[in-house]
Amino acid sequence: MKSTRVRPTGKERTFSDNELIVTKTDPRGVITYANDIFLRISALDEEDAVGQPHNLIRHPDMPRAVFKLLWDTLKEQQEIFAYVVNLASDGAHYWVFAHVTPSFDTGGRVIGYHSNRRVPSRPAVAAADELYGVLRAAERRHDRPQDAVVAGTAALDQVLAERGRTYDELVWDLAGGRG
Amino acid sequence: MRATKPGVTEVETLDQAIRVVTEVCDRARHGDLEARVPRLGSPAPGEPDLATGLRAAVNGLLDQVDAFVRESGAASSAAAEGRFHRRFLAQGLNGIYRSAAQQITHSNQVMSRTAAQFAEAARERQALADELESAVLTVSEQVATAATEMGASANGLADFARDAVTDAERGMGTVASLRASSDQIRHAVDLINKVAAQTRLLALNATIEAARAGSAGSGFGVVANEVKSLANETSTSSEEIMSQVDAVQAAAADSIGVLEAVTNRIREMSDLVEGIAIAVDGGPHHAQDGGLSQLAEVLRAEVSRFVTTIRKS
Repeated sequence: MKSTRVRPTGKERTFSDNELIVTKTDPRGVITYANDIFLRISALDEEDAVGQPHNLIRHPDMPRAVFKLLWDTLKEQQEIFAYVVNLASDGAHYWVFAHVTPSFDTGGRVIGYHSNRRVPSRPAVAAADELYGVLRAAERRHDRPQDAVVAGTAALDQVLAERGRTYDELVWDLAGGRG
Repeated sequence: MRATKPGVTEVETLDQAIRVVTEVCDRARHGDLEARVPRLGSPAPGEPDLATGLRAAVNGLLDQVDAFVRESGAASSAAAEGRFHRRFLAQGLNGIYRSAAQQITHSNQVMSRTAAQFAEAARERQALADELESAVLTVSEQVATAATEMGASANGLADFARDAVTDAERGMGTVASLRASSDQIRHAVDLINKVAAQTRLLALNATIEAARAGSAGSGFGVVANEVKSLANETSTSSEEIMSQVDAVQAAAADSIGVLEAVTNRIREMSDLVEGIAIAVDGGPHHAQDGGLSQLAEVLRAEVSRFVTTIRKS
């Protein structure tokens, strides 16, 4: 576990179309399982990942509003897709098309979350990067995190309203013919 | 040991590794895909690292199965809800997992097209329902208007027919009284004829008596002759009157026949008009025996019910 905050180097890392980055967390978002591909791309040892909160790989370019939406959706026990840029421990970044779903026990209780991440297309990355730039700009006008989240969410809602799409539909629009 | 337990557990020996893998696989076999093989111990120097390879293979397998199960559940429920934009992600899956995923994606696309066709058919059905409703509304309004007018006409016609029958009956009464008058005339003429015949007999007797009286009765004979010719003229006039009376009576009989025929026709017409009035306004005794206006209303209500059902489906 690196105690100091990692500085992004601007170097991008990608992974194969056949590969699936997998992590599991407990209900609070603490990593309980990380597959070998996650560790490789994130430049982490297993000891540095398991037991740590998932925001371990959080990149500063990610808007707060997207994570807010992610957790709100998961709390409703729904699946969510999101384009996410993650920060590896060596400062490199990598874009993923993340699919997060709740895991249930036999009684239907949420016992954690499971994230499958696939490599997104370049056009999808370009579009997501531009969208997140707009959301970040809205969020940066506020000092308090809760105000920033509200502003980022409002900016996202405005983009969606202008396009007449839901968040879900927009994400899949960007995915194009992939899948 | 449990994947949900944070931290990494060291497993020292391959025997232990096999026990751990067996437990993870057993959980997966029973449908619990949350378990993964934790980090295993490093082998002694010089020994092959079998445990690490075993762990990567088992966890990789579980990741593929886990992803496939999550995708199939979520993608099919999305398709069932009509959210066809949420596809089955084959990306990241390999071999048979990927080809099965592609097959499911293809099925979803077919379902999506079918759903779109259903939606289009439903839209067309709605439009058809709207058109039908509007057309039936227009027709039923026109029928109701026409029925009202027809009902009024039929009632007017019935009144007219009743008046005509009354008039014709009065005419028949008049003609019948004419026949009665003719009978009285015939009776009077018979009387006159009898008087004329007796007068002729009287004249004959007077002529005979005048002849017996000779020249003294010659004046009387002239008078008797005058009386006889007067009786003959009376008889001739009576015959003419009788033939006139016969002609009047025949004419009266014809008139009655004609008037009866006319009356019967008007009565038949009256029945027909009443039939029309019942058809238009409905029978007086049968609630279900609705008239044209009521039928138009029933039709409108039925079509409205039909259209409502169609819109709901």
